[in-house]
Amino acid sequence: MQQKKMSASCGRMASRGLVRFVSRVSSSGLRPLSSTSVCRATLQNKHVTDKATSPWTLMAAVCLQRLPVISSDLSPIEQQFKHMLSQMELEKSMLSDHELRLLEDKERMSRKQANDYDSDDEDGRGDQDIVLTQDLEDSWEQKFKSFQPAPRVRADVDENLTSPERCLADSLLLLVEQQVGGQKMWLLPQTQWQEGETLRQTAERALSSLSGAGFKATFLGNAPCGVYKYKLPKAIRTESSVGTKVFFFKAILSDSSRPAAPTSPFLWVTKGELQRYLKPAYMAKVDRFIPQV
Amino acid sequence: MNRAVRKVLNQALTSCRATPCIQHPVWASVSQRQYKSMPTHGIGRWRHLLPKEAPKKKKDRHQMKQIMSATETAYGTLNVKVSGFDMTVVEHYSQYIHNLCNRFGIKVAECYALPTKSTEVMLMQEQGTKMYVDSILKTHERVVQLSSLNAALCPVFMEVILKNQPEGVQLSMKEHTEADYHARFKARPELEGLMAQIGQ
Repeated sequence: MQQKKMSASCGRMASRGLVRFVSRVSSSGLRPLSSTSVCRATLQNKHVTDKATSPWTLMAAVCLQRLPVISSDLSPIEQQFKHMLSQMELEKSMLSDHELRLLEDKERMSRKQANDYDSDDEDGRGDQDIVLTQDLEDSWEQKFKSFQPAPRVRADVDENLTSPERCLADSLLLLVEQQVGGQKMWLLPQTQWQEGETLRQTAERALSSLSGAGFKATFLGNAPCGVYKYKLPKAIRTESSVGTKVFFFKAILSDSSRPAAPTSPFLWVTKGELQRYLKPAYMAKVDRFIPQV
Repeated sequence: MNRAVRKVLNQALTSCRATPCIQHPVWASVSQRQYKSMPTHGIGRWRHLLPKEAPKKKKDRHQMKQIMSATETAYGTLNVKVSGFDMTVVEHYSQYIHNLCNRFGIKVAECYALPTKSTEVMLMQEQGTKMYVDSILKTHERVVQLSSLNAALCPVFMEVILKNQPEGVQLSMKEHTEADYHARFKARPELEGLMAQIGQ
């Protein structure tokens, strides 16, 4: 679609200026990502000025996800299979160096206990009597017992819906409560598109302004992952405003530092909990681009 | 092959009619010895049907594959590097990425392993100032090289591999450069010395 737009605009007037701009951008060695976004910005400008302003208000929303931190629990079949595989591996495996040394030490001890023991017969290292392999193993066991791993599931943190550290095994989605058309509702942070910026920049602006200054996110690409169309009720509909179109952009949370002062109430929810907060029509569209995996 | 089969059938028919002279069919390559008189002699031959391969030179130097540069709609040659301490997890994850690329239709140029790096963890003794070796940690690295990645497919691909990243495994995606390619080879000091001498 990008190519078709390019050729259409080049066919019209002022194609020279656009081509020169494009060549300048690409020759300066920018990454392809930024050059395409700049191209699209100029193209969008041309589209808007050429034809009458569209009756749809454009908005961009950001679908910010916190990736799972730990792997999810295994299902019963997976557990049984894992157990069986580990048993098979153990039976097929050979003894490691440490286990061989343990056996050698045992043999040497039993030989020492015998009455006709002659220490000159031994052909091994002399220092093995000072530090026995069994002692090494005991010291390692002690260290392992004193290590306390962090708990995988913390019930109190899971209850707190505003904490980005809840449900470590699932991926979380950011929801914000916004005023839309006189009604407060939970939805993905969105804001209106302004002239002269790309939709992705609008989404970045939505993230930084609506959900506090603390969330550092990496956007996954220039292309939106979904769209939601909302037509205003017939009473309010006019010639110039038929409804809104919301384009969703995916982003991954880089670090989970708490925002200093959240400007509006926000939530971190898993996919299963989305149903409770989003409106049904909106939920149907959002559901399409949030993977189950 | 059809010609040969037809000839064999003809041969069988003629022999059924009890004609005394049994003509051996004219085979494609005359160099084969025809001392077997069975009509089905050589029925399983297939190597003469393969296209002729150029003989491989022994002293073929390993050439670098062409590095694709980024276009407006696709990234160029990318290196997806997977590294970690546990070799089975690292290898399984790199296999997962490779299979995912095959499924998505992303062309995988190469898939190789970088040499293992060993790190010795030295701890200070409780009584005394001597350090002793506590453990040896080995870092394994596997690289999956993608020849080109469509920019529209990139977010989908990235999301799937990030969501399935196992614990203890680090993922990094970078553009492939010539320096990366040459870093895989061992340095040859004596050759470099000789080249320097010739240069002087």
